Amino acid sequence: MRNPIRSLQETSAHYKTLDAKDRRAFVADMLLNNAIYIILVVFIIFTYTQNNNIISSSSIINIINLTAASLPMALGIGGCIVLTGTDLSAGRTVGLTAAISATLLQSLTATNKFFENLGEVPIPLVLLAALLVGGIVGLVNGFFVARFQLHPFIVTLATQLIVYGICLMYYMSNGNNGQSISGLSDAYQSFITGSIIGDLTGLVIPNYVIYAVIVLVIMWFIWNKTTFGKNMFAVGSNPEAANVSGVNVFFTTMMVHALAGVTYGYTGFIEAARIGSNTANTGLNYECDAIAACVIGGVSFVGGTGTIGGVVLGVFLLRIIFVGLNFLSISSNMQYIIKGIIILFACSIDMRKYLTRK
Amino acid sequence: MEMKKLFALILALAMVLSLAACGSSSSDTSDTTEDTSTADTDEEEASSEDADAEAETEEEAEVEEEADTEAAESSDLDYSDLNVGIFWYAFSDTFLSTVRSALDETLDAAGITYTDYDGNSNQTTQNESITTALASGCNLLLVNLVESGSEDAAQKIIEEAAGYGVDVYFFNRTIEADGNEGALLNAYDNVAFLGTDAPEAGHMQGQMIGEYLVENFDAIDLNGDGVISYAMFKGQEGNAEAIYRTQYAVEDANAILTEAGYAELVYFDANNSDQYQVDANGAWSASAATEYMQTNLSQYSEANGNMIELVICNNDDMAAGAIQALQAAGYNNGEGTTTIPVFGVDATDTAKELIANGYMVGTVAQSNTGYAYGLKFLIDQAVSGASPVDVAAALAADVSDYTFTLAEGIDSKVYMAYSAYTGE
Repeated sequence: MRNPIRSLQETSAHYKTLDAKDRRAFVADMLLNNAIYIILVVFIIFTYTQNNNIISSSSIINIINLTAASLPMALGIGGCIVLTGTDLSAGRTVGLTAAISATLLQSLTATNKFFENLGEVPIPLVLLAALLVGGIVGLVNGFFVARFQLHPFIVTLATQLIVYGICLMYYMSNGNNGQSISGLSDAYQSFITGSIIGDLTGLVIPNYVIYAVIVLVIMWFIWNKTTFGKNMFAVGSNPEAANVSGVNVFFTTMMVHALAGVTYGYTGFIEAARIGSNTANTGLNYECDAIAACVIGGVSFVGGTGTIGGVVLGVFLLRIIFVGLNFLSISSNMQYIIKGIIILFACSIDMRKYLTRK
Repeated sequence: MEMKKLFALILALAMVLSLAACGSSSSDTSDTTEDTSTADTDEEEASSEDADAEAETEEEAEVEEEADTEAAESSDLDYSDLNVGIFWYAFSDTFLSTVRSALDETLDAAGITYTDYDGNSNQTTQNESITTALASGCNLLLVNLVESGSEDAAQKIIEEAAGYGVDVYFFNRTIEADGNEGALLNAYDNVAFLGTDAPEAGHMQGQMIGEYLVENFDAIDLNGDGVISYAMFKGQEGNAEAIYRTQYAVEDANAILTEAGYAELVYFDANNSDQYQVDANGAWSASAATEYMQTNLSQYSEANGNMIELVICNNDDMAAGAIQALQAAGYNNGEGTTTIPVFGVDATDTAKELIANGYMVGTVAQSNTGYAYGLKFLIDQAVSGASPVDVAAALAADVSDYTFTLAEGIDSKVYMAYSAYTGE
C-alpha cells in the first residue's frame, strides 16, 4: 500500500510544474477519476441535510451490517470479473446453500422440521457443507469456462438454472412441500446474529460483521499476497501472455470460480440465519447487486484490474443508496433508476481511463 | 491432458449423480400414492428402475388403470382420455407449493394424467407452455395466472383454448381488474374461476388488526401519544392481491378503531407518500422485509419515542422477515421483551410456529387442501361433460369441509372462504 501523504505531496509537486491550461485539465481529471467518492460524500451530505438520523450511531451500524451481509459475495464475483468473466449463478447458489444450512440447523423443537430425526449438528460442520456445495458449483463453472473456453456468462447462466432446479426440488422434498424453512436453532441464530461486541462494549454489531471482516482480510491476502492472486490478474489481463510466462491458466480459472463459489456458500450460510425464513427465492438477484458493486468499485470487465478496496467501496455505495433513499422516503422505483445511472456513470469513467491510455 | 479428461469425467458424473439423486426424491410423493394401490405395482416399480422411458410410460398407464378402478368405487368417472395441464405462476411460491403438492397427491390417487408447468413469474413463459401443452393434446387447463388481474393475458389464454375446444379453469390469482368483474367470465363460456375474493384477505386482516388494537390499545401505544404508528410491507407492485391487502388492512382497522373512539393508524414515516415499502423484486420475500425493517429500526426506536408500534405484511414470509429484524433489535423475543404486533397472510407453517411462540399475532388462512379439493371437484365435473358454469354451480352447492360460494352476478366465479388464524 502506498503512503497517502507521500503520494499527495508528489501530486502537488507535479501540479506545480504544470502551466495554466494543463492545470485545468489536471483538476478536471482528478474530479472525474474520483467522481464516485465525490458522489458518495455529496449524497451523504444531502441526505443528512434532509434527515439528520443518517449519521446516528444506529444508522451507521445498520449500514455496516447491510454492507457486511453482501460484501463476501461481491468479493467472490470480483475475481470472476477480473478474469473478464461474470457469475450469474451466485444468487441461486446462495439460495441452495441457505436451504442446506437452515434445514441442518433447525431447532429440535421446530414444528415444521425438515429432517425430523436429525439431532443437533455442529455448526462448523454445516458451514463446511455450505462452503463445499458452493465450491462445487464454482468448480463446475470454472471447469467449463477453462476447459471449453465457454464464456462465463453462458456457463453460469446454465448452472444458475440447474442450481435453482435442485433448490426447488430440495424444498419440495421430504414432505416439506415448498414451505419456508425457519425455526432455526438458538445456537445458530446467536452464532450469526448475536453480538459478541455488543456483550463487551454495548455497540450491538452482529457477529456476521466480524466474519465478513475476516473474509475481507483473507480475500485481501489472496488477491495481493499470493502467487495465485498475481496469476489471477495476469490471466485476467492477457491469458496468452500468462500462459507463455508459465502460469497455469486452466488451474487459475478453475480456482477463481471455485473461490467465488465458496463465498456464495458462505453467504448462504449467513443469509439463512440473517433472514430467518428461507424459501426457494432466497438469494434471488443477489448477483446483480454484487456485480454492480464490483464495477462501481472499479473492477473492470476489461480484465486484470480491480482492488479489494474498490469492491468494498462499491458495496458500501449501493447500501448507502438503499438506506439513504429510505431515509429520504423516496419510492423504491427511484432506486432502480439511480442505481442504473450510477453504474453507467462509474463504468464510463472507468473506461475513459483505458481510452486515454491508448 | 489425461488428468484433465479424467477430471472432466468425474465432474460430469458428479453432476449427473446429484441430478439423479434429486430426481428420485421428487418422485417420492407419487411413489407413496402408488404404494397404497396394490402390491403388484410395487414389483413393477422395482423392476422399472433400470428400464427405459418407454417401459415407464407403460407402467404409468397400468398404474392409472388400477387407480381408475379404485376411483370407480367412489365415482364412475373415466379419466383415460383426460390430460390436464396445470400452470403455476411460480414453483417458488411458498403457499402455492403446498397447494401443488396437495393437488398432485389428489390427482395421483385418482389416476389422472396431469403435468405441472412452472411460469417462473413470467407471463410469456406461461403462455408459451400453454400453447405447447394444447398442441400436444392437453384437454383441460387449470391456470394460475402470472399477471394477476390482467384481462388481456387471461383473454389470450381463453381464446387460444377455445380454438381447441378446451375449457379453462383459472384459480387462485384473479383474472379481472378491479371494478371490471365479469368482463371475461360472463363473456366466454369455456371458462370458470376458483379463488378467493382478493379484497377479502385484506378485509379480514384489517378486521383482525382493528379488533386486536382495540383490545390492547394502551399496551401497543408504546409512547402513549394516543396514536398507533404502523409499518406496511407490500409484496409486489401492480398485483391485485397486494394492492387490496395493502389498502383494506389499514382502512378496515381504522374503521374499527374510529368506532371504538380511538385515533386512526398513522404510517410511521410521514414523508413517505406511498405509505408502504415494497419488495423491489416483486417476490414477496422475507429478505426484503428484513432489510427494510432493519433500516427503519435504525432511526425509529423506543428511545427516540417514535417506535413502529404495528407491522402489517402482505404475506407471512414478509412477516417472518420483519420479525427477524425486530428480534435482532431486541423486540419480539418472548417474555421480558416488548412485542410489536405483526400480522401476515397465508398461514404458512412458519407463521403458525411464530404465532404459537407469541412472536406474531395473526394471519389469514387460505386452505391448500381446500384448493386441491375444489380443483379435483372441478375436474370430476368437467369430465362428466358439464359446462364451466354448471361446474361452478355444482361446486358452490357442494357440502364439504370447505365453504365455496358463487360471486354475485357471475355464475362462473367461485370463491373459497378465508379464515382468520391467531393460533390453535
